[in-house]
Amino acid sequence: MSSALDRQIRPIYDALDTGSNKSAIVACNKVLKKHPKNNLVKALKALALVRSQKVEESLVLCDEVLLSKPTDDPTLNAMLHVLRGLGRHNDMVTMFEEAYKQQPGNEDLGVQAFFANVRAGHWKSAQQIATKMHKQFQEDRYLYWNVISAVLQANDPTTPPNMRQLLYKLAHRLLAAASSSPLGNTDRFYLHLTILKELSLLDDAAALLDTEVGQLICAANLSCNELRRDIMHLRGLSKEEGERAEGLITGKGDRNWLEFVSLLDGTFSHLQGSNENAKEECAKHIVHTQEVLDKIVENDGKKDRSGLLALVELETRARKHDLSTDTDRLINLMQQYFETFGDKSCCFEDLKPYTLLQGDERESWSSFLENVASDVSSVNNLQRVINSYKLLRYSLEPSEITLEAEEDRAVLYMQQYFKALPLGNALPTTELQPADDLAILAGAVTVNMWKVSGDQQYLCRAAIILEYALSQSKQSFQMRLMLVRIYRLLGAPSLALEHYRSMRIKQIQNDTLSHFLFSRTSAFSLGSTGDLTLSTECIEASQVYLTNSQETSDFVIRAFTAEKYSQIPEFIAFEDRLDNSLQRDMTKMEHLRMRIAHEVISSDIIDMELIELKFIFDRQHHDNRDFDILPNYQPHSIDSLNKQTLLFDKADGKGWLWTFLKMYIRIFMMASDLDDTIEEKLLVGDRPKLSPDPEKQRPLKERLADRKDEELEELTPEEYALVQYADALAEWLEPFHDYARPPPAVVLAEAAKLTEQKTGLPLKGVEIPPHNGNSNGHKKDEDTPPLTEPPEMVLKFFDAMKLRFNEVKTSGDFSQILHTATIIQEAFLLLATVSLRFKSTSVVKIHKLGGLVAKLKPIRSDASSVLKDISTELAAISASETTAENRAAIAAVKLGCSEIDDDFATQITKKLTDSRKNVLEGVGKGAGRLCGTYAQ
Amino acid sequence: MSVLRPFRASDMFKFNNVNLDIWTETYNIGFYLHYLSRWPDLCCVQEAPSGRMMGYVIGKAEGQGLEWHGHVTAITVAPEYRRLSLARKMMGLLDLVSEQIYQGFFVDLYVRCNNQIAIDMYEGLGYSVYRRVKEYYGSLGIGKGGRDEEDAFDMRKPLSRDTAKRSIRANGRDMIVTAHDVS
Repeated sequence: MSSALDRQIRPIYDALDTGSNKSAIVACNKVLKKHPKNNLVKALKALALVRSQKVEESLVLCDEVLLSKPTDDPTLNAMLHVLRGLGRHNDMVTMFEEAYKQQPGNEDLGVQAFFANVRAGHWKSAQQIATKMHKQFQEDRYLYWNVISAVLQANDPTTPPNMRQLLYKLAHRLLAAASSSPLGNTDRFYLHLTILKELSLLDDAAALLDTEVGQLICAANLSCNELRRDIMHLRGLSKEEGERAEGLITGKGDRNWLEFVSLLDGTFSHLQGSNENAKEECAKHIVHTQEVLDKIVENDGKKDRSGLLALVELETRARKHDLSTDTDRLINLMQQYFETFGDKSCCFEDLKPYTLLQGDERESWSSFLENVASDVSSVNNLQRVINSYKLLRYSLEPSEITLEAEEDRAVLYMQQYFKALPLGNALPTTELQPADDLAILAGAVTVNMWKVSGDQQYLCRAAIILEYALSQSKQSFQMRLMLVRIYRLLGAPSLALEHYRSMRIKQIQNDTLSHFLFSRTSAFSLGSTGDLTLSTECIEASQVYLTNSQETSDFVIRAFTAEKYSQIPEFIAFEDRLDNSLQRDMTKMEHLRMRIAHEVISSDIIDMELIELKFIFDRQHHDNRDFDILPNYQPHSIDSLNKQTLLFDKADGKGWLWTFLKMYIRIFMMASDLDDTIEEKLLVGDRPKLSPDPEKQRPLKERLADRKDEELEELTPEEYALVQYADALAEWLEPFHDYARPPPAVVLAEAAKLTEQKTGLPLKGVEIPPHNGNSNGHKKDEDTPPLTEPPEMVLKFFDAMKLRFNEVKTSGDFSQILHTATIIQEAFLLLATVSLRFKSTSVVKIHKLGGLVAKLKPIRSDASSVLKDISTELAAISASETTAENRAAIAAVKLGCSEIDDDFATQITKKLTDSRKNVLEGVGKGAGRLCGTYAQ
Repeated sequence: MSVLRPFRASDMFKFNNVNLDIWTETYNIGFYLHYLSRWPDLCCVQEAPSGRMMGYVIGKAEGQGLEWHGHVTAITVAPEYRRLSLARKMMGLLDLVSEQIYQGFFVDLYVRCNNQIAIDMYEGLGYSVYRRVKEYYGSLGIGKGGRDEEDAFDMRKPLSRDTAKRSIRANGRDMIVTAHDVS
C-alpha cells in the first residue's frame, strides 16, 4: 500500500475506534472516489455501515469484498468484524478458508481459518484444517487442536450417538502421533485422560496417572485430580482410593470433603464383594474408620467440621446397611455436632440431611433442640438459638403447623429478634446484623400463615416485619428477595422493583435472578399508558445475551491459543446455556406482551416478532434460573418459600413459554404476509443450527397445534382460557387469512422496492416477476372460503372473563385483579392483530370478505365494551385503595411485636397503597386507551 | 469441611449467594473467562456438600524476571460461611500452585488499608506489607476511613524460590507508590 493511501486510511480507523461511524463513512467515500476498487476501504465502510444499523447498504459492500476473495490481513480483519456484526459466521468461514487455500504456506491464515470454524461450531472442518496445519507446520499443538475438535464434535448434540465412540477413537489414534509426552503440559495431560476415560481404556489412564509426573500434576491441579478420582472409581478401586484419602487426611492434614467421601466410600466398598464375610469385613473397617475420624475430631476440635460430620455420615450409612452397633450413636453425634458447631451459621445446613428422624429419636432430638438455652446475649449464643429454631422448624409435621402454632412461633422469633438486635449496634451499615435470620424466620412463618389462612393481612405483616429488619440491616439481599416476592403478591410492583434494583443485579445475574422481576411481569406493565419502565428493564437485562454471543467465542479462541483444553468444552457449554437460556426467552415473551400494548400493532412489528419467535421455537432451552437463593426455612412437610410465593400460585417455565410461543406464532403467522421462502430471502445472518430433536423437525403447523397437558399445567386458569380462545380464533380465521394473503412473489417485490428506495440497489437474489393482471390486487383463482359462524369459545370469552373479573374484584387480591384484567386486554389485542388484514377495504372488496368483516365487528365491539368496563372498575378500585380508612385498616394489622411502632407500619402501608393505586389506575387507563385505538 | 474443586465457567450460574454480598463484585463474563482461559489452576471454588457455593478464589501468574509471582485477584466467602477458615484453605491452594506449577518467587494480593481483619488473617498466613498503593480503590471515594479506605496494601508472601526473601520488607508500610505504578 502506498504511503499516501496509508495516510488517507488512518483517519478511517481513528473514526471507527472512537465510534464516529458517520465520519468514517465520509472518509471512506472520499478514498473510494480515487480508489473505487480498494477492498480494505470497502470493508471498512461496510463496518461503519453495520455499526450505524445500515444493514442493507453494508450487505452490498460486504458481498463485493467477499467475491474478490481477499487475503491481506487488514481487509480480512475488517471483514471479520463486519461479518460478525451481520451474524454471518458461515461466510466468515468461507472467507478465511479461501484465503488459506490461496496461501497455504501462511500459518496465520491457517490459524484464522481454524478459528473461524471454531466460532461457527464447525468441528469437522476445524479438524481438517488442523490436520493440514499439523502436516505442514509440524507443531504438536495443531495435532492437539485436531484432537479436541474431534472430542467437541463427539460432544455436539447434532452428532449421532453411534458416531461419538468413533470420534473418540479417532482422537485417541491421533494422540499417538504426538512427538512429545503428554506429561509435559497439564492440559494436554488432561485431554489424554479424558479420551482414555471415555474409551474405557482405564489401564492406559492408570499408567499415565501412576507416573511420578502424573502424580505431581494431580496433587497440584484440581481438574486433573477430579478426573483421576473418577477413573479410580471406574476401575472399581474405591478401596484403594479410600486408603489414599486416609493417608492424605491423617498425614497431610487434607480437609477437602471429597477425601472424606472417598474414605467413606472405601469403607463401604467392602460390602460389594460376593464374599460371605463381606458384612463382617465391612464392620471391621467401619470401626477402623471411626477410630481414624475420632482422632481427627479430637485434634481438630472447633477448627474444622469435616471429622465430626464424616462421623455422622458414617453412622448414617452404617444404619442403611444394618451395620450400626449403637442405637444412640447418631443422636449423640448430632448433639455433639450441634454443641461444637452450633455457633456457626452453616450448622443448620450441615445437619439438615440427617434430621428427619422417627419416633423416639425424633422426640429426643426435638427435646434436645428445645432445651438449647434461649439466651441471645452473645453472638455465639444467638447463632445457636437461630440454628435450633431452624432445625426444629424444618422437622415439623403437618399437624404442628396450625395457624395458632405458627402465630406463637412468629411472636417468639420477633421477641428474640428485638432482644438480639443490640448485638450489632456497633457494626457499620455495610455489615449484616447477627439477628437478621430471626426476622427472616418470622417473615417465613407469616408467609405460611397467609398460605394456611388465605388472609392477605399476613402478607402485609411479613412485609412490615421484613421492611423493619431491612432498615436495620441494609445489605440483606435475602430480605429484599423475600420482599420482591411479597410485594408482587400484594399487587405493589413498584415496591418490588425498588428492592430488586437495590440489589444491583448485573451481568450474568440478569440471567439467573431476573425471574424475580420478570415472571409474568406484563400483568403489572403500564406500557399501555406509555410507561416503559418494565420494558426497559427487560431490554437492559437482555444485554448480557448479546455480550455472550459476541464475546464468549473470543475466549474459546483464547483457550485454544493458550492450549487450555480443560476449559474449551466448559466455555462452549457455558455459551450454549446462556444463548439458549429459558429466562432469556421468557423475558422476551413478557417484553412482547408489553410491547403490543404499548406500540400500535402494525405489520412491521408482527413480521419482526414472528421471525424472532420462530427462531426461539427451535431452541433447546436451559433453565438457569436460581431459585435456591431465596432463603427457605419452611418445614420439610410443606411447600418451600419459593413455591409458596410464586405469583398466581403457578410455576412458569418451559411449558408456559412453549404455550405462549405457540399462541403468538400462530396468531402472527396468520396476520403476517411472510412465509418461509420470503423469510429465507430477507434474512441477513445465519440461521441457527438445526436442533437434532426429532420433535423440532416436525412441520411447524403441526407443532403449533400441539397442546400438551404438562405444558398447560403451568398456566393459570385465565391464561388457559386465553390460549383456548386464541386457538379457536385461529381455527376460525386461518382459511380467510390464507386466502387473502398476497402471494410470496408480490411480497418480495414490495420488499425489493423498499430496499431499492433505501439503498439505490436491488435486493440480492430476488427476481421481480413481471406485472400482469394476476398479481395486481392478488386476486386468486379459487373462491372465497365459505363463511362460517364464529366459534363459541370466541363469542363467549369476553363475557365469561368479565364474570371472572367480577368475582375477583372484591377479593382484595390485587395481583389477581390485575392478572384477570390484563389477560382480557391481551385477548382484545390478539383480536385486533388478526383483524388487521381485513381493515383495508380494498382487500375486503377484492376477496369478497364483507361477510366475515360483519361477523368480526360485533365481537370486537363486545370485547371493547368489556374492556372499557374493566377500565372503569379498575379506576374505582384504585380510588378506594388510598382512602384513609383503607390505609388505617392495613396499618392496624397485628404484628405480634410492640417494638415496631405505628408510624413505621403506617409509612409502609402508605407506600403499599400508593403503589397499588398507581398500577391499578395505570392499567385501567391504558385499557381504556387501547379500546379507543382498536375498537373500530 | 467443604469441597475444594476447580472454578468452572458454569459456576457463574450459581455464585449468587456469594456475589450478592456487597463486598463482592460481579464482573462481566469476560473477566471470569479471561482468567479461566489463562490460569484455570489458579481459580477454585469451595462448595458445601449440598452443592451450595461457599466461596471462590481467582488468581493469575504475572511479572518479569524476579518479579514473576502468583497474584490473588479476588477471594470471597459468602456471608453464611464466614469464620470457617475457608479463605485460608483457598489461599493455601494458591500458594501451592504458584510454587509448584508456576515456580513463582512470591504470591501477592491487594487489600484495603482499613480492612484490619483481612490484614491480620493474611499476616497469619505469612504475608506482610510490601508497599502501600495510593488511591488503588477509587470507587467508594473517601469515606469514614479516610485514605485508609481508598489506599491498598500490596501484601506478599515469599515462596521457596525467593531465597533472598526480596518480597519481605520491614518498612513496607512506608513504601508508597501510586496506582499508576503498579498496573
